[in-house]
Amino acid sequence: MAATTQTCPECSGRLQADDCETVCAECGLVVEEHNIDPGPEWRSFADDETNPERTGAPLTRSRHDRGLSTEIGRSTRLKGRKRRRMARLRRQHKRTQIATKAERNRVYAFNEIDNVVTALSLPEDIQERACVLFESAQDEGLLQGRSLEGFAAAAVYATCRTATVSRTLPEVIGAARASREELDVAYDAMNRELGLPTGPIHPREYLARFASKLDLSQAVERRARELAERVREEGIDNGRNPSGVAAACLYTAAMEADCDLTQAEAADVADVTPVTLRSTYYDLTE
Amino acid sequence: MDIEDKRDISREYFSRERLAEHHFRSFNAFLGRGMQEVVDEKATIETDIGDKEGEEPVYVELGDVRVVTPRVREADGSEELLYPQEARLRNITYAAPVFMEMAIIKGGEEEEERVVDQTETKIGRMPIMVGSEKCNIAGFTDEELIDIGEDPADPGGYFIVNGSERVLMTSEDLAPNKILAETDTKYGDQIEVAKTFSQRRGYRALVLCERTRDGLLEVSFPSVSGSVNFVTLVRALGLESDEEIVHRVSDDPEIVKFMLENLEAAEVQTTEGAIESLGQRVASGQGKNYQLKRANYVIDRYLLPHLHEEGVDEEDVRINKAYYLCRMAEACFELALDRREADDKDHYANKRLKVSGDLMKDLFRTALNKLARDVKYQLERANMRNRQLSVSTVVRSDVLTERLEHPIATGNWVGGRSGVSQLVDRTDYMGVLSHLRRLRSPLSRSQPHFEARDLHATQWGRICPSETPEGPNCGLVKNFAQAMELSQNVADEQELKQELAQMGVEGIPGIESVEQQPADD
Repeated sequence: MAATTQTCPECSGRLQADDCETVCAECGLVVEEHNIDPGPEWRSFADDETNPERTGAPLTRSRHDRGLSTEIGRSTRLKGRKRRRMARLRRQHKRTQIATKAERNRVYAFNEIDNVVTALSLPEDIQERACVLFESAQDEGLLQGRSLEGFAAAAVYATCRTATVSRTLPEVIGAARASREELDVAYDAMNRELGLPTGPIHPREYLARFASKLDLSQAVERRARELAERVREEGIDNGRNPSGVAAACLYTAAMEADCDLTQAEAADVADVTPVTLRSTYYDLTE
Repeated sequence: MDIEDKRDISREYFSRERLAEHHFRSFNAFLGRGMQEVVDEKATIETDIGDKEGEEPVYVELGDVRVVTPRVREADGSEELLYPQEARLRNITYAAPVFMEMAIIKGGEEEEERVVDQTETKIGRMPIMVGSEKCNIAGFTDEELIDIGEDPADPGGYFIVNGSERVLMTSEDLAPNKILAETDTKYGDQIEVAKTFSQRRGYRALVLCERTRDGLLEVSFPSVSGSVNFVTLVRALGLESDEEIVHRVSDDPEIVKFMLENLEAAEVQTTEGAIESLGQRVASGQGKNYQLKRANYVIDRYLLPHLHEEGVDEEDVRINKAYYLCRMAEACFELALDRREADDKDHYANKRLKVSGDLMKDLFRTALNKLARDVKYQLERANMRNRQLSVSTVVRSDVLTERLEHPIATGNWVGGRSGVSQLVDRTDYMGVLSHLRRLRSPLSRSQPHFEARDLHATQWGRICPSETPEGPNCGLVKNFAQAMELSQNVADEQELKQELAQMGVEGIPGIESVEQQPADD
C-alpha cells in the first residue's frame, strides 16, 4: 500500500496522512484517498440502542487469543429462566476459552505483564512485545520449574532493555509480584536460550526519569546527557551499574549548576549506594 | 438603581470567571469533598479470602484520597506538569494522578487483626476541568496565560480527553426525595398517585403510593413485584395501631373516613404479621426464616433509601419511613378530595440540575467500584498463589483511569445515558459560551412532550426564554439566563438541620433529635 511507503512516489517528498487522504507535503500529489474509516459512526442518536461501531477491537498479541474472543453479553431485558440460561451459557463459554494448562498459564502471565506495564506506565507496544517474548519463552519450554511471575517480570524488563527505555531491576521488582531471585532465574534462562539482543545499558536511558524525580531543570538534564556520552566514550562506566552512573552524571551536572542536590538523594532514586555514585563522580571531575 | 449600576452588574455577569462559574463550583466541590465522600461510602473492600478452613480473612481499608495537578508521563518515564494547550496539541488527556491511602488488613477471627501493608498508592488518573482548582493554569495572569499558549479570554469549564475538548452537559432532572402527587388512569378509571424518587449515594428508587378505584392504598417499590397494601407496609414498619395510622395520615374527617375503609380491608393487625406477609411476597416458596430475613432486608435496603442517615438507628429510620408513607397517602387523598392540585412536573421548584461535578461523582463511584472488584480479584489470586500481599501490586491504575476517561471521550455515561459529553463548539467565541451554559432535558426528543417543551413561568430569570434549537430538540435543550445563580447542595446536612431547628423548625412530634422530613410543598 502506498501509505506505508512514507515517501512520495513522484518526488520522494514527505507524506502527510490525515483522516481521509494521504498527500505529499512537497508536491501535493494525492497518494491515497477514500481510506476506509474503521472508527465509529459519527452520527449518534440518543434513542438508538444499537452500538454504532462498525468494527471490533484490533488484533493484539497481548491476549492469549489475540483479542479474537467472542463474548456473550448481558441484557437487562431478559428475565427469569431465559436470563439464568444465558448466565449458564456464559459460564460454559468462558470455560471453553481456555483449553490447556499452557494456555491458562499464558492468560495468567499476560495479566501479570499487564500489571507490571501499567504500574511502570510503559507504552502499549512494550506490553505487546513483552507478551510475544513470553510466548517464545513458553514455546521453548523454559517455564518448567520456574515461576510465572518471574517470567512475566523478566519479559517486561528484557523488552524495556531492547527498546532502550530501560527500567532498573528494583523498579521492575517493585511493580511485579516476583522476587529478585525469580526474576534473575527467568531472565538468565531467556537470555541463554533465546539470545536476547541486549547490550550494556546506556546511562542516558535513565536520565530523563531520574531528573524528573529529582525535580532538576532541563539545563541540568542536558548537561548530564553530555556527561553520560563522555562517560561512555572514555569508558568510565565499564563495570559500573548504569543507573548509578546516570545518577552520578546528574549529580555532577547539578553541582556544576549549583543546584541543591545531595549524593544520598541522587543515589536513592537510582537504587544504588552513595559510594557507587561517588566513584563515578570522582572519575568525572578529575 | 439607575441604568449605570445595572450596566455594571450586567457586565460583571459577563466576566470570564462568571460564564462557566457553575461548572467550576460544581467540579471544585467534587474534587474537594465529593471524591472523599464516595471513598468513605465504600470504606472497605472485602475479599473471599478466609472462607476456607484455617485461613485468616483479609480486607482492604480505604483512607484519604488526594488529587494533584495534571501531569504527563513520557515514554522515557519522566513526569512533567501538563498545560492545557500541550494536551490539545499532543492529543493527550489533561488528567491528574489520584492517590489513595490503602491498608491490607489480615486476621480478626483467631488471630489479632494486623496491617499487612499500608501505603498511599496511585489509583489512577482523573481528567481535570480546565480552569478548576486543580488545573495548572488556575490563578495565572493574562500574560502568564499567553506565555504558555493559552487564550486569556477562554472561559474554561471543559475537559480535554485525547486532545479533544469535551463539555459535560448539564442535565435537568426531576427533583429527587420529594413527594409529587398526580392523577393517572388505570383500566379507564381515574386514580391518584403520589410519587417519590428516593435517592441516596447514587442509588435511585421510585416509590409509588396509589389510591386505586375502590379507595384502597397500595405502595410499590423496587425488589417487590406488583404492589403492597399500604396498611400492611406501615404496620411492618412499626406503626401498629389503627388509631396511630389514621392520626399520622391526617385529622381531616373525610380523609379519616377513607383511612377507615383501608383499615377495614387490612390483611394483618400486628407488626410481626405484616412482616410475615411481606416475606411471603418477596420470597415466596422459601423457608419461613429466610422470608423474614429477606423482608427485613428489603424494607431497610430498597424502601425509601433517602431516609437513611449515618448514626441513626434502623428502628428510628423505619418509623420515619412509615411517617413518610403517611404523608404520601395524605397527598393521594387530598388530591382525590380536590383539596390540592396535581403537582406540576415542569415547575422549576421540582427540577434539579446535574452539573459536571455531580456527573463526575456518578462516574467516580462506578469507577471506584470497578477498581474495588479488581483489587479483590487480584488479592484473591495473589493469595491463591501464595504471594506476598502488597498494596502496590494489587492496584492496577488503568482500571480507574479507563472508567473515567472513556465516558468523557464518548459521552456514554454510566446508567446508559448517551451524549452527556460533547465536543466544545468552537465555531466562534459566542458558540463556546453558549455551549458551556447549555442544559438538556433527559426526555426523549422523539416524543411530543408538549408541556415539557413549553416555556414555564418559573423559568423567569433562570432560563433564557428565546434561545433553544429548532426542530426535535426544541424546548428540551435550553440555555441559562445571563444572571442565573445556581445554588449548591449543602456540605453537611446535620449542620443544616441544627440551623433549621434553631430558626424554629419543629420536627415530627414523637421523634426527637432525629431527622426532619424534607419539605414537600
